[in-house]
Amino acid sequence: MPSLRDIRRRIGSVKSTQQITKAMKMVAAAKLRRAQEAITKARPYATLLEQALVRIAQRAASEGGAGHPLLAARPVKVVELVVITSDRGLAGGFNSNIGRRVQRFLVENADRYEKILISTIGKKGRDFFRARHVSIRKDYTGIHQKLSADKAQEIAREYGERFLSGELDAVFLVFNEFKSAISQKVAVKQLLPVETGPAEDSAGIDFLYEPARKELLEQLVPRHLDVQVFRALLDSAASEHGARMTAMESATKNATDMIAMLSLQYNRARQAYITKELSEIVSGAESLK
Amino acid sequence: MALTLEIVTPEKRVARLECDEVRAPGSLGGFGIRKGHTPFLSALEPGRLTAVAGGQETHYAIGGGFLQVADDKVIVLADTAEARDEIDVERARRAFQDASDRLRSLTEQDGNYALEAARVKRATARITVAG
Repeated sequence: MPSLRDIRRRIGSVKSTQQITKAMKMVAAAKLRRAQEAITKARPYATLLEQALVRIAQRAASEGGAGHPLLAARPVKVVELVVITSDRGLAGGFNSNIGRRVQRFLVENADRYEKILISTIGKKGRDFFRARHVSIRKDYTGIHQKLSADKAQEIAREYGERFLSGELDAVFLVFNEFKSAISQKVAVKQLLPVETGPAEDSAGIDFLYEPARKELLEQLVPRHLDVQVFRALLDSAASEHGARMTAMESATKNATDMIAMLSLQYNRARQAYITKELSEIVSGAESLK
Repeated sequence: MALTLEIVTPEKRVARLECDEVRAPGSLGGFGIRKGHTPFLSALEPGRLTAVAGGQETHYAIGGGFLQVADDKVIVLADTAEARDEIDVERARRAFQDASDRLRSLTEQDGNYALEAARVKRATARITVAG
């Protein structure tokens, strides 16, 4: 049976932990709001660019040919997974879900491809694979601290070049897709070759292009890549804050339950102590008679 | 008003407005758009994009991108876009100075030539719009 003082000390320590989790929850909520805003703001550009690209690529496809080397699928031998995790923990299953998904991908596709490379964005993913002795081709650092379209562009352009050089045949992004503040879903999304949907029968009038369609595609496709990477990073950031908020919320609740339980224990122990004292006094007085 | 103009960048929507005419720096030369323009997709150079509404001109400094016209809707997919009051002129002037200094020491064959030339153009666009 723990002494009164032990219980009091435990209550104190749980309380201070609760203060921390509560504060972290508030911070995550504030960051989540900003991250969500960033997603909303980035959406029009991504949607409009995709529409323009799909139309022009489908037009090219309906006339034969892929129209652009980054759109051309080829037999896939070397695949690379770009794994996006957070730099910080305490976000529930946010990072471990990603790790598990990648491991499943590796098992399921071990026979299908000659080689599966892994690159990481975010410290937690890097640590996950290092701990399991999975080799990492490249670890991109310092992406999350100040997320910008420029950083996404750097990564996207690198993959574009490596795809063109024949170094790899397909690239997938693995990241937490933002569904809502309380729900994230691990997504595996193909980055390269760029998919533009099935060739539609191109009715209606064609656009006038300036410069010619081919040159335009050459500028549009890399931009589209940038946007895909940027979107995945934004989604991951918002998901991270959402996951942390939920995790910290339940931690705070658990702390409340624990304090209630400990208080009950404390009061019971106190009462037992008083009863014991009283009966000692009474019996002491009794014996003096 | 005859046209709707929407300017978006990867990071946000910069403007959505109604106007009569749009003038833009196309990669093959400047062009203008009015009501009833044929469907058109053009690459843009860094430069000044102007929206004319009731004789009133609004200027934006854009850092390259694309412009699409269809059904009297003009969509500008800009790498960067700033309205006049958002431009940091001091910074643009410094960028112009630095980039043109570097450009002078490069030849056209140099890998960084196009990059620096684009920087000069972007800075010039900002200074013109702000000026």
